[in-house]
Amino acid sequence: MLVQFYNVSKKYDNGVIALNDVSLKIDRGEFLFLMGQSGAGKSTLVKLLFREELPTRGQIFVASRSVVRMRRSDIPKLRRNIGIIFQDFKLLETKTVKENIAFAMQVVGASKRDMQIRIPEVIKMVGLQGRENSFPSQLSGGEQQRVGIARALANRPLVLIADEPTGNLDLETAQEIMQLLYDINRLGTTVIMATHAREVVKAANKRVITLDKGKIVSDTPSGECLL
Amino acid sequence: MKPANAIYFIREATQSLSRNRVLSFATITTVAVSILILGIALLMTVNTGNIMNRLESDVQVIAFLDKTLTSGEISTVKRNIEKIDGVKSLKFVPRDEALKKLQESYGKDYDLKATIGKNPLPNTFDVKAKDPHQVPVIANKINKINGVYKVNYGQGVVERLFQVTRWVRIVSIAFIVLLAAGAVFLIATTIRLAIFARRKEIYLMKLIGATDWFVRWPFFIEGMFMGISGSLIAVLLLALGYNSLVSRIGTVFFMPLVSDPHLLSQFYFSLIGIGALLGMLGTYISINRFLKV
Repeated sequence: MLVQFYNVSKKYDNGVIALNDVSLKIDRGEFLFLMGQSGAGKSTLVKLLFREELPTRGQIFVASRSVVRMRRSDIPKLRRNIGIIFQDFKLLETKTVKENIAFAMQVVGASKRDMQIRIPEVIKMVGLQGRENSFPSQLSGGEQQRVGIARALANRPLVLIADEPTGNLDLETAQEIMQLLYDINRLGTTVIMATHAREVVKAANKRVITLDKGKIVSDTPSGECLL
Repeated sequence: MKPANAIYFIREATQSLSRNRVLSFATITTVAVSILILGIALLMTVNTGNIMNRLESDVQVIAFLDKTLTSGEISTVKRNIEKIDGVKSLKFVPRDEALKKLQESYGKDYDLKATIGKNPLPNTFDVKAKDPHQVPVIANKINKINGVYKVNYGQGVVERLFQVTRWVRIVSIAFIVLLAAGAVFLIATTIRLAIFARRKEIYLMKLIGATDWFVRWPFFIEGMFMGISGSLIAVLLLALGYNSLVSRIGTVFFMPLVSDPHLLSQFYFSLIGIGALLGMLGTYISINRFLKV
C-alpha cells in the first residue's frame, strides 16, 4: 500500500472545513483521479500528501511512514519520493528547459554524473528533444507542462501528483499530456491526478474518487463519477 | 556541505547578486550607512572611554605629613601606605619641591618666599591607586595612619566625576546596542525584499525536497557578501575621515584622540566582521518565514 488516509479531517484557521473524515487507500502502480468542484477538497488532500499542510485529525501514511508524526527534518525525504505537477507549471523563467530539470536534481543533491545521464532520459521521455536550451517563454503551454512533468520525474519518484495538469491547456494538448501520464504510469509510477474535467476522466476509464464538500461521495474503479 | 554543493551555492549566490542588481545595491548601501553610523558611534565611545580613563587615572590621593616627622618616621609611613590594598605607586614630594612648584604656578614676578617668609608647606606623598574607583577607600585608610594629618583627593569632585563617567559609559553602550539592532532590522528588511522576489523558487525547492539549509546557503553567502562589501565601503570612509581628523585636530578637550594604528586596524577589521555578521543575521531572520512550506 503506497498511500493510506485514516479518518482525515482538515479545518483551516479561517474555519473552513476542507476535508471531513476521509479514509482511502492507494496501491502502488495505480492511476487515480480525484474529482470534484473547486472547493471540494482536492487540493487540500493533495497538499496533505506531501505535507504542505497537516491534518487537524486523522492519520496519513505514505510508503508506510506517518506523514503526521514525521519530524520537520524528514519532510525533504518524503518529498523526494513525490513528483508534483502544477496547473500553472511553476517553471523558473530565468532557466532553460535543461536547467529547470537540473534544478530539481541539484536541490536533492544529485551528482553531476547522475544528472548527465538522467536529464536526457527524461527529456526524451516527455518528447522535448531539441528544446533543451529553450527558455519557458519560448515554449507553448503543452511543452511547458512537459518540462514540468520531466522535472517531476527527474528524481524517480514513487508517486506523481498532478493538480489540474491540463487546466490551462486546450483539449488536444490536454489529451497529449494525458497520454504522457498514462505512459509514465505504465512504466510503474503511481499517478494521482486532481481534476474537474469530466471528459478527461470518462475517457480514461480509471479509478475515480469523487469529493464533495470535503467528503468522499464515491470511489469507483472505472471512470464513473457522480458529479 | 559537499564540495559540489558549495560550488552550486556560490554560483547561485553570485547569479542572484547580479540578477537583482538594484536590490543588492540597496542592501549594500544600507549596510554601508548602518556600519558607518555604528563605526562613528563606536569611535566616539572608544575616545570617550579613553578620555574617561585619563581623567580617572589623574585622580590621586595626596597625604599631608606632620611637620615634626623625622626621616625614619617618614619611611614608616611610606611602608604603611604601601601595605594598603590597591595602592599602585606612591611618590614622596619634599616640602621644598612643593614650594618650588607653587612658586612656578605664581610666575616670576611674584616672590612667594618673600611674602610668606618660611616654607609653610608640609611633606606629602602622592598616592596612585590601581583602580581609580578605590581612591576614596584608600584615602580613608591613609588618613588613619599615624603621622598623616590630612588627605586630599578632591573629595566631592571625584565622586561626581565617577558618576559622570559611569553614565557616559552606560549611555554609549545602550546607544551602540540600539544602533546595532536598528542596523539588523534595516538589513533584514532589504534582504527580505530580495528573498520575496524569489519566493516562488524557494517554494518550489521545498516542494521538490530541498532541505532548509540547502535553500538557505546561497542566501547566506549573498547576505555575507553584501555585509562585507557594505562594511568595506563604510570602513574606507571612516578610516579616511578619522585619519584626517586625527592629523588635523589630534586632541579633544586637550586629550589626544586614539591613534594607535594596531588598535585602529583591529577596530576596522572587527567592523567588517560585524558587517558580515549583520548580513547573515539579517538573512537568517528574513528567510525563515519563507521556509515554512
